[in-house]
Amino acid sequence: MLARVLFSVVLVVAAVACGKGDGAAGGGGPRDAVTSAWKKGGMTLSPLTAATVTVGKDCQSGTVGAIDVLLCVYPTPAEAKAAEESGLGWVGEATGAAQAAGTVLIAVADRRKSDPSGRTINQLMKLAPK
Amino acid sequence: MRSIFLVVLVVIAAGSQPAFAGKKQVRYVGIHPVPKAEGGGVCYIEGPHVHVFAANKLEYRDHRNHNYFVGDPVAYGYDGPRHAYKGHHPIHVHAVVGDDQEDVEFCYLDGPHFHGFAPPPAIEADFEVAGDAYFYVAEPPPAYIEARPAMIKVNATYAPITYARPVVEVEPPSGWIGVRVGVPAVVVVDERPAPVVVAPRVRAGIEVHVPVPTFSIGIGVGGHVRGGHGHKKHKKWKRR
Repeated sequence: MLARVLFSVVLVVAAVACGKGDGAAGGGGPRDAVTSAWKKGGMTLSPLTAATVTVGKDCQSGTVGAIDVLLCVYPTPAEAKAAEESGLGWVGEATGAAQAAGTVLIAVADRRKSDPSGRTINQLMKLAPK
Repeated sequence: MRSIFLVVLVVIAAGSQPAFAGKKQVRYVGIHPVPKAEGGGVCYIEGPHVHVFAANKLEYRDHRNHNYFVGDPVAYGYDGPRHAYKGHHPIHVHAVVGDDQEDVEFCYLDGPHFHGFAPPPAIEADFEVAGDAYFYVAEPPPAYIEARPAMIKVNATYAPITYARPVVEVEPPSGWIGVRVGVPAVVVVDERPAPVVVAPRVRAGIEVHVPVPTFSIGIGVGGHVRGGHGHKKHKKWKRR
């Protein structure tokens, strides 16, 4: 009986976690809207993992090809917009971009110089929902 | 052991937030060439973005603190949509990059050249199409004239570049800027200490009109201009 209750608790916790919608597994949050749009556009995104950065508190990072991506979620679009400068700080000494899309800040950085024409970065920024 | 731990900590810290060791981020918006030293070719990022290489002053204009390329991207290998123009013309930067901060800049490329955009509907009437090329036929603002002596130097950048320029062999429209104000008046340029007389450049096949008096002032190549309203600092034309 106890085992059954524990299992149920685990299920509920897992469901709530997924309900936040911003895990790599998907679930409908603003970050997922971005990753879904990327995947739909043919981009291959690595699993996102929590990122401890100064850009924001709720950030996850991964890669598209060899391009680093950082997706941070903010309470409001204005806060995401205001974080663009910090996003450029995260880009650092590389070709990159940082733009708010709703409540999500999208930052991309080509630190390995894998995208000399910028076409992949252009696709990433254009595919993101406005 | 302790030092190894410290090294690991430093490496982790460096990886989590890139440091700016010395290269300065430079902001761009729209497509633009990449310097040869950085690999060459064209950067196709249309929105705001950053690189760690600088933009030159002749081929770029400032748009909301970002460098916007006003030159011919085909000269650098651009393979996207292209539109042929002949001679100088305005560029509505806000329309090209898609934002709401009005910014009209001028392209000072002589002769046929390409851009990746057509004139936006708002200023279509300022252009006439002849021989599949856009000719600017409206009245240019004074700031265009003021900046021209400095900005026409951009043509020296393109002269040695070999690429497939648009072929425009039709007679230009009568109101074309290259006909009306394409030939600067003779001006004496004070290149101290010795004054230099700059003769007008006459292009074959173009009817030369006597420049309108309002256009004969402030045209010089550097230095001080005599016979006009005196020295004027070049300033960009921004309608904001």
